[in-house]
Amino acid sequence: MDKTPPLANNTPLDRMRQRLAPPEYPHDDRSRMRMVMDSLILHLHPSKVPERTLTWTYTWGLGGLAGLLTMILAITGVFLQMNYTPAPPQAYLDVLALRSNTWFGDALRNLHHWSANLLIVVSLLHLLRVFFTGGYRRGRELNWLLGLGMLLLVLGANFTGYLLPWDQLAFWAITVGTSIVSYIPLIGDFLNRLLLGGPEVGAATLLNFYALHISFIPIMVVILMSYHFWRVRKDGGLTVPKSPEEKGEPKSERVTTIPHLVRRELVWAMIWLAILILWAMLVPAPLEGIANPLVSPNPAKAPWYFMGLQEMLLHFHPLVGAVIIPILGLGTLAILPFIDINPETIGVYFRSRRGQALALLAAGLGLLITPAWVLLDEFVLDWPAWLSGWPTFISNGLVPLAIVLLGLFALDEGIQRLFRADAEERTLFLFVFLFSALIVLTLIGIFFRGAGMALVWPWELTAGH
Amino acid sequence: MKKFTLSLNQIEILVGIIATALIVLSIPLYAVNEAARLESAKAAQLGLDLDDAMSLYAENCSVCHGLAGEGIGATPPLNNPALQSMDAGSLTKTISRGLYGTAMPAWQIEDGGSLNDYQISQMVDLIQAGNWQETQDRVVNLGLAPQVPFTTQPDATILAAIKAQADGEILAAGVTLFAEQCVACHGADGLGTSLAPALNDPTVRAKTPAELERTIRLGVPGTLMAGWEKSLDDTQIAAALALITRWESVPAGAIPAPNRPVPVTEESLALGADLFAASCSNCHGPEGQGSQRAPALNVRSFLTNTTDQAIQQIVTLGVPGTSMPAWGDRLTDTEIQAIVGFLRSWEESAPEVATPTRVQGPWWRGNAAQTGHTQASNQNTPWAQTTSWVQSLDWRAAVLILSVAGLALAMILFAGYKLKRLAPSNPVMGEK
Repeated sequence: MDKTPPLANNTPLDRMRQRLAPPEYPHDDRSRMRMVMDSLILHLHPSKVPERTLTWTYTWGLGGLAGLLTMILAITGVFLQMNYTPAPPQAYLDVLALRSNTWFGDALRNLHHWSANLLIVVSLLHLLRVFFTGGYRRGRELNWLLGLGMLLLVLGANFTGYLLPWDQLAFWAITVGTSIVSYIPLIGDFLNRLLLGGPEVGAATLLNFYALHISFIPIMVVILMSYHFWRVRKDGGLTVPKSPEEKGEPKSERVTTIPHLVRRELVWAMIWLAILILWAMLVPAPLEGIANPLVSPNPAKAPWYFMGLQEMLLHFHPLVGAVIIPILGLGTLAILPFIDINPETIGVYFRSRRGQALALLAAGLGLLITPAWVLLDEFVLDWPAWLSGWPTFISNGLVPLAIVLLGLFALDEGIQRLFRADAEERTLFLFVFLFSALIVLTLIGIFFRGAGMALVWPWELTAGH
Repeated sequence: MKKFTLSLNQIEILVGIIATALIVLSIPLYAVNEAARLESAKAAQLGLDLDDAMSLYAENCSVCHGLAGEGIGATPPLNNPALQSMDAGSLTKTISRGLYGTAMPAWQIEDGGSLNDYQISQMVDLIQAGNWQETQDRVVNLGLAPQVPFTTQPDATILAAIKAQADGEILAAGVTLFAEQCVACHGADGLGTSLAPALNDPTVRAKTPAELERTIRLGVPGTLMAGWEKSLDDTQIAAALALITRWESVPAGAIPAPNRPVPVTEESLALGADLFAASCSNCHGPEGQGSQRAPALNVRSFLTNTTDQAIQQIVTLGVPGTSMPAWGDRLTDTEIQAIVGFLRSWEESAPEVATPTRVQGPWWRGNAAQTGHTQASNQNTPWAQTTSWVQSLDWRAAVLILSVAGLALAMILFAGYKLKRLAPSNPVMGEK
């Protein structure tokens, strides 16, 4: 069929109208295929999805929200870059000018700041969601690893971005944060110097972090993100939600992506855009005085998401608290999909009804035991003094670590004997317990540590930090 | 009547529309306010910059430009309209690079100074928009009020005696010149200050006149010593040279520190009152009326006959052979000046005759209880830390602890109850 319009109507306007007109419904396979090929949405999503995967309370839209935040960060980041010089003290002056001399400069910076912090929370929640529904099993192992890689990149992006305003908050948080690196044996000091471009945070550090923040990390994120999305599709889409009582493969009617999935994605995106824009307009991102290497705030704290780590340093020898425990934690996360493999419970939140109760039990125990242990360690336990003569790596590192591991083992044995939990329920229990302990430690580090990192009540925390 | 219900899809679409409307409405609303927001952000920023600038002024500039930018001697005042209306570029240039041929050095770091560009821009803000009364208070509160006056009067009798010496005219001219131009930095009787070295010194006299003259004429780069060639004529330079080389024949006290009251602010008076109550009242009496241990201070004869400088010296160095200790070892200059200012505030109402009181206990016992130092050192012991933390338990802490523990226990008990009711997922073989 020749659709070329008469020559008289072949003006640029007509050609434009013709190109933008909605496509006619395809009648033959060839043009249907053509339609899929031409559609960006159908490149990302399959043309039909199981209806049950669209349930709000299954995915909570966390992966998509992380993607949206990444896009917001990329766009606001470009605008911020236009108003920024990565050299002290101009960097700080530029941020000041952004606040007091640039139209929408403040809102843009706030949007970038809050989106970046929300992205960390959302990434972690996404990780939890996938873990709780067993979403990494049976062929999805690689995508879990890609996700872990992106989590590290998100933390790296936030950390490098933290320094860029070049205020007191930035300077000292990065000083504290990078000092954790130097606890790695043998290469720690070298890595620290490499990262800082010198013995301490200075002009070279700012340039290093800027380069990482605006080029290396975003490029890696784009690559991993594309791979991650592509793998979701290659792995057969999302896992299908399933109730604990259901046996076998969950059955679900398939609905077309357009409009069912796309509508929900759009609604979710608009909700969060509205929240973020209002948030950015109403809540200013923090900015303190210009960085001053001679005046350190007390307490000097790392960025909030590393406060769990900094809190750990108060209880363990640095080699254990800053190196061994994080590596054990990340290593465990990485091998989880290869030890927690039961295909029967994919899509079941918390594995089973008993799993749900066990997860609640683990969270409750974490909430109770962690503060108790922090108080005990603060006021009673004094390993270096009790085991004087031993190297502190043993007395203050391996001994407490062994006690913690023994405690975990005892908990594991306990739930096995008391409730006859099976392997995957025990894995779930320990994971939830450790994760809630990490959250509690982070909260203690942020809200209960005052001058000299002594324990204080949150309302006694001075505004100094 | 038909029941009105919404399907999930409709709710989603509705929420989406509301969110979109919020975005579409809030952005123009924000834009309308943006100009005002920028203005207030600028004003807030200026306030912060001025605050920094006042401290910088106290630390770097007040010594020459005065407590409140009023200028001392030959140094120009900064609080004048001509400077305020000068463009920022010229002010920045002057502060950054200094003024050749005057005592104004270059302050920019790359030119040997101590300020970065941001700090210099803050100083420009201070000159253009600063509040000099607040600046004076800042200088005094930081204890940075210039100790040495910029100019002084040579002692008339000694000056006459110098003139009577052989070739004394030029020496007397040197003394007068020194009192007018040099005493600010090189100190009374040329004995030096924290700003500049002593000139009344054998090592200086040992240098050749040519070397000394070159220093006076051209200054010393990288220090506050400016080149004086343009401000002084040849006879004046010769007179200064004569004074420096022949200082051993000038009697002490020729160029005295004049009586100059210690500047005070409300804060410094409060600090002085606290310090007096903590450190002095045990011997000198709660109102300074004196006691069996120490003389009255709150009495006309003492206050009118003793200058602030003299009181400061007595407090700092103590009085040998009496129980008056040297407080310079324990208090800072700021604190001692605050005490002096506090004593001076009594002068108006001081009685002609004091009525000493009797005080109990040795003076140091009272001190230990009242100064904060002992308490602070106690806090370093772990036990004191525990007690202070336990002492800080109040209703908020109780609510926090009870709610966290209650939540955790509720979670644990509920989970335990559930678990007891649910059969194991994978019953062990052989069990019922």
